[in-house]
Amino acid sequence: MAEIAESPSTTEHPLGTVGASRSKASSSALRESDVDPKTMRTTTPGLKRLFLTFSVLLSFLLGFPFLWKTVEIYRSPLPFGDMDALSKQIESSPLQFPCHFQSVFLNFDSRSSGGILDPRELRSSILSEMTKLTSQTLERQCGSCGENFTLSVVVDSGDRACRQSDERHGNGLTPNCSYKCGALGALNLGDGEAVDEALRSALDESCSDYGGKLYTVVVVNGDGAGEGPKALVGKHRHGWISGRELDAEAMIGRMAEMFVKIFMNGGREDGAIHGEFMPVGADGRVVLSFSLLNANPDDWFYDWDFQKLDDTLLNPVIEALKPIANISVESQVLYHTPKSSFSYWDESLGSYIFSTKDLPFFVNSNEWHLDTSVAAGGRTKILQFVVYVPSANECPLSLQLPSGEISKTNGFISPMWGGVMVWNPQSCIKYSGSGPPARLLMHPDDLHRIFEVLMGQLRQLFGLKSDSIYVGAAGAYKLLPSEKGFTEWQEHKVTYCLLLFCRELDVLSRQHTCFNLHSSGTTLGSLSRLVQSLPRMIIKDEIGKQVKFSLEAAQLAQTNASVGLYEASAASSRQARSLAEDAFFHPSIMSVSYFSFEHCFAVYSPFFLPVSLHVLLAALREWRRYKQEKAKYVRWKVKQVKAA
Amino acid sequence: MRSKLPDAASSRKMAASSAVVAILASIWLCSSIAADASGSSSETTMHTNNWAVLVCTSRFWFNYRHMANTLSLYRTVKRLGIPDERIILMLADDMACNSRNKYPAQVFNNENHWLNLYGDNVEVDYRGYEVTVENFLRVLTGRHESAVPRSKRLLSDEGSHILLYMTGHGGDEFLKFQDSEELQSHDLADAVKQMKEKHRFKELLIMVDTCQAATLFNQLHSPGVLAIASSMKGENSYSHHLDSDVGVSVVDRFTFYTLAFFERLNMYDNASLSRLFNSYDPNLLMSNAYYRTDLYQPNLQEVPVTNFFGSVMETVHTDSAYRAFPQKNTPRETRIRTGNTAEDDSRRSILTDMTKAECPFTRIVSSLESKMETVGNLDSLVNYGLVMILPVLVVSVWLST
Repeated sequence: MAEIAESPSTTEHPLGTVGASRSKASSSALRESDVDPKTMRTTTPGLKRLFLTFSVLLSFLLGFPFLWKTVEIYRSPLPFGDMDALSKQIESSPLQFPCHFQSVFLNFDSRSSGGILDPRELRSSILSEMTKLTSQTLERQCGSCGENFTLSVVVDSGDRACRQSDERHGNGLTPNCSYKCGALGALNLGDGEAVDEALRSALDESCSDYGGKLYTVVVVNGDGAGEGPKALVGKHRHGWISGRELDAEAMIGRMAEMFVKIFMNGGREDGAIHGEFMPVGADGRVVLSFSLLNANPDDWFYDWDFQKLDDTLLNPVIEALKPIANISVESQVLYHTPKSSFSYWDESLGSYIFSTKDLPFFVNSNEWHLDTSVAAGGRTKILQFVVYVPSANECPLSLQLPSGEISKTNGFISPMWGGVMVWNPQSCIKYSGSGPPARLLMHPDDLHRIFEVLMGQLRQLFGLKSDSIYVGAAGAYKLLPSEKGFTEWQEHKVTYCLLLFCRELDVLSRQHTCFNLHSSGTTLGSLSRLVQSLPRMIIKDEIGKQVKFSLEAAQLAQTNASVGLYEASAASSRQARSLAEDAFFHPSIMSVSYFSFEHCFAVYSPFFLPVSLHVLLAALREWRRYKQEKAKYVRWKVKQVKAA
Repeated sequence: MRSKLPDAASSRKMAASSAVVAILASIWLCSSIAADASGSSSETTMHTNNWAVLVCTSRFWFNYRHMANTLSLYRTVKRLGIPDERIILMLADDMACNSRNKYPAQVFNNENHWLNLYGDNVEVDYRGYEVTVENFLRVLTGRHESAVPRSKRLLSDEGSHILLYMTGHGGDEFLKFQDSEELQSHDLADAVKQMKEKHRFKELLIMVDTCQAATLFNQLHSPGVLAIASSMKGENSYSHHLDSDVGVSVVDRFTFYTLAFFERLNMYDNASLSRLFNSYDPNLLMSNAYYRTDLYQPNLQEVPVTNFFGSVMETVHTDSAYRAFPQKNTPRETRIRTGNTAEDDSRRSILTDMTKAECPFTRIVSSLESKMETVGNLDSLVNYGLVMILPVLVVSVWLST
């Protein structure tokens, strides 16, 4: 290999053609024969080769950042701090809604009850009762009011003179929202429905949606017809206790129970259905699937006018539940669908009996093709409502309770799945004519009764009781049905708290908001952990957007909740949960489809490693050679100086 | 006639893959997420539903027994009450319509041919080339494209018990999918961890019938997981017997004896899991069944097998109807006769015509087979190409020195 020195005239060969370097040697004091070509040289070593190899190496090095940039993984910036903060905040401090309570003591003359009633005193004693109740029952239940409630007490002595506890301006209510003195002057206590309306017009009108809901309990003293005190809860946000010669002190316990158990907690039993089972899909949607099953159509087969049912009865329910879930409805009629459990004939009861022990085996999943919904997306919840028409050889079919009684509803639910109801045809007489049996249309009255049971089941699935009486520790409370409200809906299409009671809807909204926020907080928290633990994972812009919107919705829900806008906070919390789930379950997050750095190295090294190694080695070799040659030259120089 | 076909993946394949595996294993290692906050909720929630994910990962006719294994389990869980919409069945090949199948559209797991596993209503959710590691992990973690229908999704919730059954060829900490890719024990553990994080199950039973199946559970750390394997590390899982009519082994030993246990049960039985575990005889299995119970709290003697292999609904009686709707009194009209019975009859006849039509999959399978051959050529071509590169590399290195 030829090596080139700086000046073109001095071509030096390592094998020792020294005679060529004449021009430089002439100026030196040494003679050429003194120069040992192995250790010395007379010319400065050339830089051209070095320059060439290093320029190639440099271009490689310059190209490296470019390559690095091109193989970089796109990660949309996620607000990790906000995500973690949200999950921590929701984890540590459960959401508490403001609740406002008001108690009105009507017709309490200072003379009749023996002593002047002091509203402040009453207030403090009711409050202490309520805290006692909340601490023993609610145990940090998600979506309750917790300790975040206010109470004001009004004593109306009938002669337009009211005394109030001075809490009203502190509780965030507008002054005209609370009880106006003498507004309930002439209350006819005979008709519950009328009282309910009167109270509603006196109390609820002005403050339906401001600063949290106001729940009122009115104690009416005087012309009660019955002997003992009678407690009723209306369909809106108030209840009343009436009776003759009432003792205000004795009413305190009942009042506190009414506030806590019914208004705050919705009158539900703890532990009936666990709070975590919210029958709403992760995308905030629910499909109610109604199926009419004819066990054996050879005996008879029934059809129903579901469209009418949907239009007249079901729609208001869906409207009422709108803030909690986006509900859609479908229906079908199936044939040849026997149940899979056994039943036996009981002579004394006159019907075929299946007991509660058999219920887990009642649903025949191999023959009942219920899950037909194409419309439902992947994370939508489907609730099945099944009306089972037994065949002739098991008709009538009744459910026997463990107590030996026959069930009134003939139905049961399975949490998160739906409900089943057995409907026996009027006369269990087998069709015995020639040809196939006739198609029978269910009578509207039957359909109506079925619908009542199914609605009871729907309420049960949402954790609400359908009894008309709630029995508490301090006494029983009659819960008024909202029949009138329903007809109102049919006439005016007003959807204000009709099918579900306002107070129940409030409870549901509170609980769902809390659950949704909790769920979105944990989902975003684990997404943040997941993303941070995988530095090479691709994060699409879509995920970034979903996370951002989810955080915004959660924020909105929290602020709405803190000012007491229950429905709005339920709706935005639903959105937050749905978006968080969308982000977490984004199909691009798959552990097998993203590559680690090692993988990247393994892919690209075959392209560059063989060449870059050569380039690097060449550069090193050139550098070494240059240093050697330089040393030779320096040695010669030194020798020259010495000689001189 | 008893035969012993091991389900071990061939050693050549293992050697070839081990280099890639070594690199990739670290990826999966780091893809696990910390699930710490989820422990408390599983105790309080109620068991509400059952799901089953049944996976057969092997292609080709000689792996007939793996499909028969999976279909046997499918039959069992369906018989014990898990509905089809809650069973995800993944079959990597279609033996019933294989041209070599002497009994078209039938699959047997016993040479006595008493039980046709492909009898009625087999709903395969993922079939053929859809059975991949990616799809399997998508099913577990729930990360699907939005167009994937409900029937292909595992829509379980925090009250679900899930049975995950897998069979195929495996080895130390891996299970082969489709002769082309592997599911690592890390993958499985990672997917289970993510499921736990998202409350996708209450309890999970993983049952694996493959060689060295126990190794697949090595990385599992999520609470609520119970695991059963057909063999320990270093052991093979063998097939049970050969059907000389069909020409291949029809069932694996572990699954055969599992089924022998379940065929004696019905929906109402409450045989416990420990009875199932004790029913495995190492002499009959020719391997030691392995149970991993350290992540599972309940006492196995009190847990009925129907908690996983069947579906026992949790039910609550409806106490009262909701009487808030106004009654309207309309005159009763009872029987409405309609004339659409003829239409029904015609529909029925069309249906019977359809069942008579020939199995369309034989055609698809034969076309697939011809394609497979070209794929095989391609494979060898790639191998030759790799060998050709070696001398070029040697020459270039020799020139540069």
